[in-house]
Amino acid sequence: MKRTIPLGLLYSVTGSYARIGDACRTGALNAIAAINADPARQIAFDPLDRDPGGNIDLYAPLCDDILRHTSARHIIGCVTSWSRKEVIPTLEKHGGTLWYTVPYEGFEASDHVVYLHACPNQHLLPLLDWALPTYGKRGFLTGSNYIWGWEMNRLARDTIHAAGGEVLGERYLPLGSVDVARMIEEIRATAPDFILNSLIGPSSYAFLKAYADLGARDPRFAPDRCHVLSCNLTECELADVGAAAEGLIAAGPYFRETTGFGSSHEAAANRAVYALANLLEQSSDAAGLPLSALLDTPAGQRSGIDQKTHHTTQPVLIAQVRDGAFQVLHDGGLRAGDPYLTGPAPVPAPTRLRVIS
Amino acid sequence: MTGSVRIADLGGARAIILHRPHAIVTALTRQLQAVGLHVTTCWPDLPAEALAADFVFFDADMGFDDQFPWAKGAAPMPMIALIGSEAPGRVEWALATGANAQVLKPVGDSGVYSALLIARHGFEARRTLAAEADDLRRRLGERQTVVRAVIHLMNATGSEEAAYAALRAAAMDARIGLEEAAARILAKPIRPVTKGGAR
Repeated sequence: MKRTIPLGLLYSVTGSYARIGDACRTGALNAIAAINADPARQIAFDPLDRDPGGNIDLYAPLCDDILRHTSARHIIGCVTSWSRKEVIPTLEKHGGTLWYTVPYEGFEASDHVVYLHACPNQHLLPLLDWALPTYGKRGFLTGSNYIWGWEMNRLARDTIHAAGGEVLGERYLPLGSVDVARMIEEIRATAPDFILNSLIGPSSYAFLKAYADLGARDPRFAPDRCHVLSCNLTECELADVGAAAEGLIAAGPYFRETTGFGSSHEAAANRAVYALANLLEQSSDAAGLPLSALLDTPAGQRSGIDQKTHHTTQPVLIAQVRDGAFQVLHDGGLRAGDPYLTGPAPVPAPTRLRVIS
Repeated sequence: MTGSVRIADLGGARAIILHRPHAIVTALTRQLQAVGLHVTTCWPDLPAEALAADFVFFDADMGFDDQFPWAKGAAPMPMIALIGSEAPGRVEWALATGANAQVLKPVGDSGVYSALLIARHGFEARRTLAAEADDLRRRLGERQTVVRAVIHLMNATGSEEAAYAALRAAAMDARIGLEEAAARILAKPIRPVTKGGAR
């Protein structure tokens, strides 16, 4: 007889970033189905679905609804940093935990959040460490007017300058804007060695399409000449970019090629559900324990979740879109999450993590 | 001291929390350890080892002057006030004690990282400005020396303008400040080099 434990799902599967929410939710639901069907497992999850529809003001109320009106203490959800920040006070109030399965810009270590995707020492810094010697040190930085773009580009600027490189331009677009002409013109005029693209959603798709057009007109910007690098582009958005995605470089912990999951979002959500199942299976009262207590158990110590930062050890992979799919170019080994960039400098270890679960 | 904020060197830094045992100490410690700092807690006195700490968090509610092993307001590291009561008298005491930033009680899930960055930025800005002010004050105090040196040099150069130019040339040649050059000239009179030689 399995113990059934309610589990909140707080993903926007409608609205402007529904692709990502959908990918995360698919990963979570597949893992829940597999655990529920596994006779060796002593628990089953009962998913409680809430869809904020991409409306920032609905996250905290829906999170509160789950924690106040059900016995669920764990929620898998949130795509944007903004929405994660919105729910943290509610999690604090009710002693809940958010399992966050999307890359973010770091500098956070909430007592109520587990961070299962990459932070800058796991995406941006290894990407630049590899790209600067490979492509050159003259970069152009793009981003949306939003914490992700601002912080990624700040770190990139510091890293490029520290390596003796040069930032030829740094240009931002309002969230949702597709007015990319000026950015493209500046890139054409400055002719950088590479472009770091930290735009989000429709802005990013419009930029990539316009840049592919530029590459077709001017061979200096062909996909094999001046590369576009990104830390937030995964398989779940490739369809929106279409043929313009060809040649893009992305850093991430998982790619379809390495894990079989549809995207790193699916893989991270899968890891979240299995990690939570392992923690809750230990005892019948575990479902009511706070995250700090759960991590201070044998299963917690085996979980790969750091007890101090709640970040996870992850593979560092750099991949390129070739014939419409990501192919891994560089395997940077496993790296522990270091959200404040205060840990020791990483030692490259060429280990590859295969399928998780 | 505007522009970029320095985020380096927090890993392995030492923080002291001067507060009686309390849930806020637990919450602070958790946040500091997540950032990568080593944490020591003490109450009511700061031990002499506190002099080697990189940051001190102090209780602005129950704190008092005798707790600190340095002159009031002269802490050798950034200080962060833990504020519960916002009564002006307590805020005034926290400022006089040298608070460079504050964290409000009760301490929740966040707030410590930005307090560390702001406190260090403010502390370093204050120290830089204090050094500049000391230097300017010292130079102001040397005004008389400069005047005396110029008068002295006028004997040789004939004009005040030429005497001042000679003093500047002497300072530049020795790569020292104008005030120091003036002091040297008065201590050991030298024949200034002027255009067309000495008269």
